[in-house]
Amino acid sequence: MIRHALAEGWLILRSRGLISPVLALALAIPISLAGVTVSLRQWLEPVIDLSDRESVVAVLLHPRLDESQRRLWISEESRSHPDWKLAEVEPEELAKRLASWFPYLEEVLQREGPQMLPHMVEITTRSPERVLELKDTTSVLAVGPTSSVNRVVGQVASRFALVLLLVAGALVSGALLLAAVWVHLELHRNAEEIAIMRLMGATEATVRGPFLVAVVVPALLAAVISVVLTVVAVGWMAQLAAPLGLAARGASFVVLACQILGAVGLPLIAAFITLERHASREES
Amino acid sequence: MIRIRGVTKDYDRRQILRGVDLSVDDGEMVFLTGPSGAGKTTLLRLLYAAERPTDGEIWVAGSRIDTLPRSELPQLRRKIGVIFQDFKLLRRKTVLENVTFVLRFHGIGQREAHRRAYQVLKRLGLHHRQSALPESLSGGEQQRVAIARALVYQPRLILADEPTGNLDADLASELLSLLCDINYQGATVVLATHDHALLESLPARTLVLRRGEIDYDGMWPP
Repeated sequence: MIRHALAEGWLILRSRGLISPVLALALAIPISLAGVTVSLRQWLEPVIDLSDRESVVAVLLHPRLDESQRRLWISEESRSHPDWKLAEVEPEELAKRLASWFPYLEEVLQREGPQMLPHMVEITTRSPERVLELKDTTSVLAVGPTSSVNRVVGQVASRFALVLLLVAGALVSGALLLAAVWVHLELHRNAEEIAIMRLMGATEATVRGPFLVAVVVPALLAAVISVVLTVVAVGWMAQLAAPLGLAARGASFVVLACQILGAVGLPLIAAFITLERHASREES
Repeated sequence: MIRIRGVTKDYDRRQILRGVDLSVDDGEMVFLTGPSGAGKTTLLRLLYAAERPTDGEIWVAGSRIDTLPRSELPQLRRKIGVIFQDFKLLRRKTVLENVTFVLRFHGIGQREAHRRAYQVLKRLGLHHRQSALPESLSGGEQQRVAIARALVYQPRLILADEPTGNLDADLASELLSLLCDINYQGATVVLATHDHALLESLPARTLVLRRGEIDYDGMWPP
């Protein structure tokens, strides 16, 4: 039966001529676009993570506060703001950071020593804007940037990622529709032959075999084309995106495997459904 | 071989067959005749389960076929050789392939299938056209290919719908003698025709269908 299916399927493919590769390409394009879209979404994941990441706000304490006063201040602020995490940064650590951020300060810092620097407290919170209130208190000399831009960027990225997923879903649906129309047309073209085979006593497996072969071959071709297109397109876009600081990388194995499954599976599902409907309609 | 009880068939509220009762024994040869539109083709289609009756029971080769599940239809159809009025040949296959492909459903190997097909084609005078495609054959030749395909697996029941419609008198007579031979070997033959010359050339049981009912059941001429 397999030999029959292969031989008859090959005849169907041959009779189509160039239609099969064109159909394979038509199927591969939406599937590879879906793969590219999902890959782009993966790039956004670190940015999406920012949406619920806590911000760290630096607070410089007044130099006149001694160590016990500083400890008291930290414990009082911790009590009044249970969602804040306060951590004191030692002057030595602050000096190191300043030296790395502003290399031209290194010499001054070495000469004067870290003791000249004020004490800094880092407050980790989800609502950095509230830390700004400390600015007006006597114990605080200055408050660092309190912008929640990271969170906003994360939220935008999250919405954009959702849109990308919807686009990928629409593309896959389009591919499924294309596959269904393709199989339907193929059956329509060979309806007479199928009817004759059934009347002559062919089993459903015998009737369906050649069509499934004729569907699987272009579907495999579509899988190869879509994988190649995705690898090339995602690689090229990763190069473009690298200077933007995105976590751009090539198409993942999972995406490529899903594409192969989709390119072969979607036409097969469409073929099974269409053949089943065709057989039921013929019976009725 | 065939038992039909109270069979009716409607198409779009038009009744084609009305309560047909019929019984054909094993090894019988039966002519089915009547004017165009009397329901001959419909009755044959019901016998090879290409359609289901609106009402009534149909038994063929020991199986009730009006309620037969779809999965069991191939088994039934392999017991029946059907000669269609419009040949129903596979356009992309050669004459030989058209005849051998049915043998594949019977599990017969390629070499044996070719041998049997060649024998039948030779008997029908078509062995020299075995590599031709159906479209290059005349109507009569195509009809003979269809006949060869129906006979090649020696079915127990042969249903022929106007098999001589495209044949000249000599070939029609040759076909009739072929069907007689097969009937003589034990197969049941039901032959639908409105060719009176054919009916008169062979005394056999004849059913006359008129307006969907069996109007006459007996030897011909009456």
